[in-house]
Amino acid sequence: MFALSAKRPTLPTDVVATLRPVALAKSRMLPLGEPWSALVPGGGLRRGSTVVVQAPPGLGGLSLALSLLTESSARGHWAGVVGVDDPGVVAIADLGVDLRRVLFVPRPRGAWAESAADLLDGVDLLIVRPPSRASHGAARRLMDRVRERGTVLIALAESGAPWPLPADLSFDITQAQWATSSRLDARYLTVRVGGRGAAVRGGEHVVVLPNRRGRCEAG
Amino acid sequence: MTERLLAVWVEALGEESPDGSTLREHAALLDALTILCPFTESIRLGLLVLPLRGPSRFFGGEGAVLDAVRQSVRDVTGHEPLLGVADGLFCAEVAARRGLVLASGATDLFRRSLPLSVLGRKDVATTCQRLGLHTVGSFADLDAARVAERFNGHALTLHRVARGESAELDGQRDLKLARRLGQLRGEDGVGDEQLGFFGQRGAGDLRAEAAAHRVRRRLGVDAVVVAALRGGRVPEDRATLVPWGSPSSKVRDGAPWPGQMRAPSPATTLAHPVAVQLRDGEDHQIVMEPRGFLSEPPGALLFSSQLRRDVVWHAGPWPLVERWWSLNRRRAHLQVLLATGEALLLTAEASRWWLVGIYD
Repeated sequence: MFALSAKRPTLPTDVVATLRPVALAKSRMLPLGEPWSALVPGGGLRRGSTVVVQAPPGLGGLSLALSLLTESSARGHWAGVVGVDDPGVVAIADLGVDLRRVLFVPRPRGAWAESAADLLDGVDLLIVRPPSRASHGAARRLMDRVRERGTVLIALAESGAPWPLPADLSFDITQAQWATSSRLDARYLTVRVGGRGAAVRGGEHVVVLPNRRGRCEAG
Repeated sequence: MTERLLAVWVEALGEESPDGSTLREHAALLDALTILCPFTESIRLGLLVLPLRGPSRFFGGEGAVLDAVRQSVRDVTGHEPLLGVADGLFCAEVAARRGLVLASGATDLFRRSLPLSVLGRKDVATTCQRLGLHTVGSFADLDAARVAERFNGHALTLHRVARGESAELDGQRDLKLARRLGQLRGEDGVGDEQLGFFGQRGAGDLRAEAAAHRVRRRLGVDAVVVAALRGGRVPEDRATLVPWGSPSSKVRDGAPWPGQMRAPSPATTLAHPVAVQLRDGEDHQIVMEPRGFLSEPPGALLFSSQLRRDVVWHAGPWPLVERWWSLNRRRAHLQVLLATGEALLLTAEASRWWLVGIYD
């Protein structure tokens, strides 16, 4: 075993600056793409944590939740999407999600929580959109299970039916503004990032989602 | 908040056997019940609980869940279980030992009527009996300060359970059981990524496959779908959603498609377009004119007679003439922005308007 020792030669700072952390197989963080990596503590999603994305109906909540998958998906992680009835496949692919590693359960009928729990073991990130307001008990059990399994749960809620428990990380869309020309060009979302723990640099950020290429970028 | 639980008590599995067969049977039973409800918890050897609300919505009633669980226990262990339903773990276990299904809301009364011995502490029960208290209810009515004064700290937790403020007794769960079950299955670490070499199927793929199987067992073979892109001009044509595992799930997006609608595309593409009405400022229906123009600029979108939204902006229509030999296939797309900030994709086809996508 290599132990950290004081004898190890120190690397020049310019070399250190170019080094990137090796993505270890056991990494506790799942990577986030731009612009989220700059807005979230640790630059990624901690395994076992719950992320809540909340937005007024039709104002970008689904796009935001999907945009959290892109980087992990590109690096080979599996994702699940439960309760999104009619996923816009083209938009999801444009965002940069690898469709080959996404399992959709579009209509889980009454069993959204059970389906989510079934999928949890097999995916690294799981988007869940409850058909109506999630009960306290169902949310708690799912979050416990997520913590135990090291998955990341992304709960998608509408402003009128919030996720019943506090999240480790939350994204609240407070405003959505379309830029238009002869067609819809891009949407500017004002997002409040929050969550538990002192590390979260709260505050409002503007992101473009989707932009002219259907991707997400800093506003 | 205590929730309605179904407790499953299999007496024959309650005693540890020297050859470990009890533990193995318990593990098999846990697996079988997890298929019925993924939130099944094993409490002690022979005792498992599951929340009843979700499964009963799914199976169509509590009776149906109870039947399914009973059958499952018989199939897996060959023993007849005792089933009990009540709010909270403590009462659910007591109910199971008596084979009682309490009506919703009856748990309080049930708990108060129980003899003190169910709390499992002889010293407390004996002292209370000397005081003339014989039921859990009479113990619950004691002032918490007096309980603290009279007994030790442990009695206070009992008192909280007796009052229904706490749903389970200390020591009711066998905390080592989960680890022993894990060891039995040879699970050491959990959740570590093992990606395969290029082109090889990694452990992650196998895990995903197993998870998809579980959902299919629960909801049916079409429940899990995978998506792919194929050629086409508009988002609703380019998307393919096929049941997971079906052979056609290997379609790929081909070459660039001439005249393809540019990004951004709607994050929701309705598999079954919804009929809508587009109206102008004077509430007249808007139609597509033969040369591909709108009869009037749109002012409102009607989803039904109740649901009407003002249209603040629109783009298009972009006519799409496909299969020109068939007159029915004239379509045109229109993007509209509602006063609420929502952006939608509509098509006009066969002189009607349809909602096909939501930019949500």
